[in-house]
Amino acid sequence: MQIEREAWAVLLILLLAAAVAYAHVTTTTEEYSRYNTGWNGTSALPAEEVRDLRNLDTAATLLILAPDRPFTAEEVGYLRTFLDAGGRVVIADEQGAANSLLADLGSTMRVRPGNLSSLERDRADPGIFAARVVGNTSLFAGVGTVLVNRPAAVTGGEPLLETAALTWEDADGDGRISGDEVFGTAVTCAAEGNLTVLGDESLFINAMLAENPQFIENIQPVQVDRIHSGTGTANPIVNTRLWIQETPPAAAAVAALAILPVAWHFGRKRDD
Amino acid sequence: MNARASHTILAAAAVLVLVLIGVQAVDPVLYAAKNISTAAHADPATIQKRSPGDAASLVPLMDDLLGQTGTLALTIKLKDYESAERDLARYSELSRRFDRLVVTLDVSGTDIGEFQQNNRQNQDALTALLNDTRQFDALQRLEIEVRGDDEQHMTVVYEGEALRQKMRESFSAYAKREAATVRIAEHYDINATPYQESVDHFAEVADAANGWQEEINGNGTGPAQSPLVIAVTPVEGSYGDVLLIGGAHAGGRPGTPIDIYVDSRMAATAALDDGRAYVHPYQVGRILAGPHLAYATAGTIYSNVAAFEVLPQNTSITLALAEVNGTTVACTGNLTTDDARPVTQAPVLIRVDGDTLVAAETDGNGTYRKDIPLPAGEHALRAEFHAAGYPLNASESPTEIATLRGEGLSPFPFAAAIAAAAGTGWYLRRRRPEENTPAAEPEATPPPEAARPAPQVSIAGLPPREAATVLFCALRARLNLPKTKTPRDCARIAPAYAVFFERYERIRYAGETPSEEELMDMERIALGGDADRA
Amino acid sequence: MAGAKKYYAAAVLAVWLIIIAFFMVLSRTLDLEVFFVLALIGLLVVAVLIDGAFSRPRYMRYIGYLIAAGVALFAYIVVQKILEILAA
Repeated sequence: MQIEREAWAVLLILLLAAAVAYAHVTTTTEEYSRYNTGWNGTSALPAEEVRDLRNLDTAATLLILAPDRPFTAEEVGYLRTFLDAGGRVVIADEQGAANSLLADLGSTMRVRPGNLSSLERDRADPGIFAARVVGNTSLFAGVGTVLVNRPAAVTGGEPLLETAALTWEDADGDGRISGDEVFGTAVTCAAEGNLTVLGDESLFINAMLAENPQFIENIQPVQVDRIHSGTGTANPIVNTRLWIQETPPAAAAVAALAILPVAWHFGRKRDD
Repeated sequence: MNARASHTILAAAAVLVLVLIGVQAVDPVLYAAKNISTAAHADPATIQKRSPGDAASLVPLMDDLLGQTGTLALTIKLKDYESAERDLARYSELSRRFDRLVVTLDVSGTDIGEFQQNNRQNQDALTALLNDTRQFDALQRLEIEVRGDDEQHMTVVYEGEALRQKMRESFSAYAKREAATVRIAEHYDINATPYQESVDHFAEVADAANGWQEEINGNGTGPAQSPLVIAVTPVEGSYGDVLLIGGAHAGGRPGTPIDIYVDSRMAATAALDDGRAYVHPYQVGRILAGPHLAYATAGTIYSNVAAFEVLPQNTSITLALAEVNGTTVACTGNLTTDDARPVTQAPVLIRVDGDTLVAAETDGNGTYRKDIPLPAGEHALRAEFHAAGYPLNASESPTEIATLRGEGLSPFPFAAAIAAAAGTGWYLRRRRPEENTPAAEPEATPPPEAARPAPQVSIAGLPPREAATVLFCALRARLNLPKTKTPRDCARIAPAYAVFFERYERIRYAGETPSEEELMDMERIALGGDADRA
Repeated sequence: MAGAKKYYAAAVLAVWLIIIAFFMVLSRTLDLEVFFVLALIGLLVVAVLIDGAFSRPRYMRYIGYLIAAGVALFAYIVVQKILEILAA
């Protein structure tokens, strides 16, 4: 009886170890990844993913988060169709990669990447501060201020989020205003019709979701453009699993692989 | 052999791990989630919160200051001197608060610093305007009284002329600052209208003075020329330069004291020499940059007003750190202008870790020295010179890092550790001998017969409780106790084995099961016969 | 099996150490002092539970010294923390 008990204990420990190994292998630490359960991933963002920009559902907002792939002319056409049909598009970008897409869409808004810092803040990091909601839009309904996290400035369009007066672009990164840096208000979110450009991708990471709950609620339902957003992963195991889920023949093959040995074991004639 | 090998390996591994941990024991917090950030964002849960500070009140304070200039200028124009005094006091208080805020928020290098300098000059100008207007009023009343007396009338006229020139120069300087101040105000969305109105009020006051002077000089050929003349050479200077303020007094006697005023404050007294001339070397010290006025009085005779300009200069400040002991760091440095002139008796601020400010002062050679006690660890220090009231531009030194070892070890923890170890040892010692006391009890009953040699019984293969029963019977037989004696009786009769019998009693009647070791011990006692099991 | 209790005690102690390590990693704070104090508590609990009143096996003979050393280090940590609080 003792041996059985020890076997159970060992089995339990092995199961625990297997669970930990599974968790380690199927999550990543890449920024903005949907498979990153850490502070800088987007695993907790309630959104569905779309692979195809054709025939999108206009009831849900299309979110292009941290775009890292260029848009082909075809895709720009689909986006324009979506916008004309009344769908809402939110582009969250602080690197400036969305500027070519904005130019293709014919918008005058541009993202200016930089290091916006503010004196009027209540955290020790100058890049985390509250931006005021100006302008009237359903995206920020019921929201007075939005906590932004090292945002970029957005030029053009109708301003929706404005920073305080004592905000500056910290070019030398020393955390204080020095040299020829000047104070001035900056716009971190602007809109043109249904197209909104948000200069802060960090609003959607796990650690920031709790800071702006009303905004996250307002943006629901949301669909994330998986092809162009930076929410993917380079982890081969996760990608394989996704591929299996998406290609029916592969799913069928895996199911067969699991069932066949069991069927063979029980279907064999016993030589008793 | 296998067991020995594994034991030695285990012991070696344990020693190795203890040594590795011991190395880290000096700094036990191996890792703490603090200030976690990447290039694109920081984790707000790990960033320390701090009080918002007064950054939000900076722009409203600037608005207040500009508004205050409007009210002050208006009350001066309306000659409501009591209200003007109150307004001026409030304005000074606001300016002081603003200066402190600018230093605390470390924004003196921006256009807010420029606004601050302009504000100081405006404050000086409005104070001077108030005093001059009051004096002018008194003069106007005096003029009426002394209309008959030519000599006294002339002195009144000269004084009036001096005041008029002062107000005119003061106004032109005030108006010159308007453009820059309004530009900065518009940048921060501040209402500059009261300030622009104050410029208009100032103009009106200066014009009123003009008008009066022309009136009383109506029959003259122009502004009256005072016999006391003053001039400043050179007309420009910077910090540390010596300007010669001098002139002549046409109607004066040699030896007459001449009081020289700079900006309405008495600067020096010179004596007329034999050539009826006087001169005084004036060193530019703690005076604001920009235009200033000098005039002289000889008794009641006022001179004309001479203007001179103080040019701003850049400064540079150095900082050197030296460790005094584990808890204090000595900061020394030099504050000099670009002309290599030391700035003496000037206030210097040392900023520790971006937040705390420590004040120091330079001595006669422009050197400052300050000892600052700090907790152990690394600290960033920077020396700053905010040129409040100096014709110099602010400067700051590069940031230096000071590493402090902290205090040495104190003996209390060691004493406590030794005391705790001693206490534990004493407690454990005290607990153990209790097991021996039942065996040391004096035997009340006559000792039983000598124990027979141990019978051969084997308990291998038996369940534990039955084994215990077998052992009990064996011991009872060995001690020659009758079979009718219950375990408790046996314990009473043979107190040397009382523990055995009491244990067996619990096994037999209370349903307890003995463990392997207990069985082995009981076997040893029952068959071997030594009561001392320790 | 002789000495089964010994192995169980060692296994329980090891599992306890793993549990506290797991929670420290989860809370992103690795503090040696906290780890040591919790491990000492585990050791004391295990020592009390396996101590038989009527026998003192070989592996229990010298545990008194280990516990005394652990308590001494614990007293050192506690007094150091008190001094830190007083100095602040």
